[in-house]
Amino acid sequence: MVCGLLEPDGGTITIGGRPAAGDLSVKSLVGYMPQDVALYPDLTARENLAFLGRLYRLHGALLEERVSEAFELTDLSDRAGDRVDSFSGGMKRRLNMAAGLLNHPVLLVLDEPTVGVDPQSRHAILERVQTFGRGGMAVLYTTHYMEEAERVCDRVGIIDRGRLVAEGTRRELVARLGQRDRIELGAAGDLERLAAAVRTVPGVESADTADHAVHLVAEDGRWILPAILEAAKRAEVVLNSVDVVEPDLEAVFLHLTGTALRE
Amino acid sequence: MRNALVIAHKDLRQRLRDRSAIVLGLVAPLAIAALMSVAFKGSDTFHFTMGVVDVDRGPVAAGLLKALDAPGLRQIVTVKTIASKRSAADAVRAKSVAAALVVPAGFSASIEGGDPLSLVTLTSVNQTVAGDITSSIATSFIAQLNADRLSVATALAAGVPTSQSAHLEALAAGFQIPERAVQRSIGAHKLKTISYYSPGMAIFFLLFTISFTARSFFVDRAQGMIERIRAAPVRPLEILAGKAMSVLVYGVASLGTVAVITSAAFGANWGAPAAAALLGLAMVVAVVCVTALVMCIARTQRQAEGISSIAVFGLALLGGNFIFLSSSPPVMRTVALFTPNGWAMRGFTDLSTIGGGLGTVAEPVLAILAFSVVAGSAAALLARRAVAA
Repeated sequence: MVCGLLEPDGGTITIGGRPAAGDLSVKSLVGYMPQDVALYPDLTARENLAFLGRLYRLHGALLEERVSEAFELTDLSDRAGDRVDSFSGGMKRRLNMAAGLLNHPVLLVLDEPTVGVDPQSRHAILERVQTFGRGGMAVLYTTHYMEEAERVCDRVGIIDRGRLVAEGTRRELVARLGQRDRIELGAAGDLERLAAAVRTVPGVESADTADHAVHLVAEDGRWILPAILEAAKRAEVVLNSVDVVEPDLEAVFLHLTGTALRE
Repeated sequence: MRNALVIAHKDLRQRLRDRSAIVLGLVAPLAIAALMSVAFKGSDTFHFTMGVVDVDRGPVAAGLLKALDAPGLRQIVTVKTIASKRSAADAVRAKSVAAALVVPAGFSASIEGGDPLSLVTLTSVNQTVAGDITSSIATSFIAQLNADRLSVATALAAGVPTSQSAHLEALAAGFQIPERAVQRSIGAHKLKTISYYSPGMAIFFLLFTISFTARSFFVDRAQGMIERIRAAPVRPLEILAGKAMSVLVYGVASLGTVAVITSAAFGANWGAPAAAALLGLAMVVAVVCVTALVMCIARTQRQAEGISSIAVFGLALLGGNFIFLSSSPPVMRTVALFTPNGWAMRGFTDLSTIGGGLGTVAEPVLAILAFSVVAGSAAALLARRAVAA
């Protein structure tokens, strides 16, 4: 709907302060990278970008400049004159992204951009996305990989069966669902005394000993960590390791959507 | 429509990189036209050998043989005398004669009676034209004979003495039935086979662009390119128009090149250049509109290929690209007028025979453009749904 590929049933879409409905020119503000590589295999990389750039009213020197810039951003400058069907999958993905950047979009829509991509290309894509975001570009990033969402996204929306079931920052999503941090204290000495000492720290909900460590469940583990360390000192137990594990988006996602396989 | 031009330019670039475009747009029509030129060489003039069997040996048979020796008939018929009907049948079978005419015994005597015998025509299925001409000759001769008999009978009925009947017969035989139908070409030039099939084959292969372009639309969709283009500030109609417009440039180039080469190399007469160019351009526009319509109607690549095949061969067969429309049944000549290529063939034939200029092709061009408007309008109405599918 944001890219104008589907008509909305209701509501409004505003891009750059302009309503998208009925205004073809608003599409000039949007860059689109589809999930599947959408490029002409029998044209060169440069020909593909030049063609798409012309559709966004780019021509002449400006078009050349944008095309070169897109190649530099995606590290494909040395393959610009080669046919796309000679590219690897990762290169095609990067070129796919480059095509979405030609018009210097206000909003870049990336539909699962790292699917089927080698780790190097995936890393490069994620790095670029973070760079775009820091540069002020709005990025609408869809993915099934929670770690990618955690890495590149400021705000996350979880969609289940076509409905937006949750939306917010990572912390907001985690906190909304009441997830707690897990803290693991590795120590030599009396672990029971250590566990008893840390139970008295405000915010610690539980402390158990297992596997030669004390396992805590606490709210905002990072905030109460100094108090936990102080409690360990009072108990005269020397800590070998401290590991704070915050609840992740995957846990949030599974909690909201369930673990049943989808059709 | 600026985006349509961008899409057309891209499509054309892809088309030219594909060697099949050169083959279908240039090599194939030239090759087929050349082949037909060789195959039909000599068909512009027709001559055959006709066997004649005179079993009657009477005066009427003698009159027939004399009629067959007329200067006008000698241009198309060489008469060969054969001894018997059986020998004549063998000769037709062996193709030493194309057809044979048998005057049965008692034919001359039967003319004066009330139940005259019939002339027998022996023909072969492989020589239908010769058989038709032989039958026609026989029919004409019989008609003359009947006219003579009628004249004598009328005179006798009017009171002329029967003793004068022989004299009357001789007089009547000196008269000839005036020709009731004279077929003369209205054109200044005779239609050469190569002049018919050069535009015929060029247009036939032009029709193939419907299939290629419609298929490429669905290939682009499968590659995700239609969706990508739709995400850009491009109207749905511009996408279809762009793809169809690539046909315009390719078609004009193909038709023009074939016209020049067949004219120079094979002596095809396409008529006055400006008129032929206008007619060719109108035909290309029609193909553009049909291409757009096929892209809108089909839902899948397979459907596009199927619909295109029906359109290409249906139009070619009905429009007279393969056969002379003039020798087709009247219903076929009427149906051809519902096809753009049928009008184009009519126009090119008129240019080749009648000559003239833009005035000669005005009616075909208008008819083709009317067809284009209908097809193009339908495509425009369906464009949004077709692109969004």
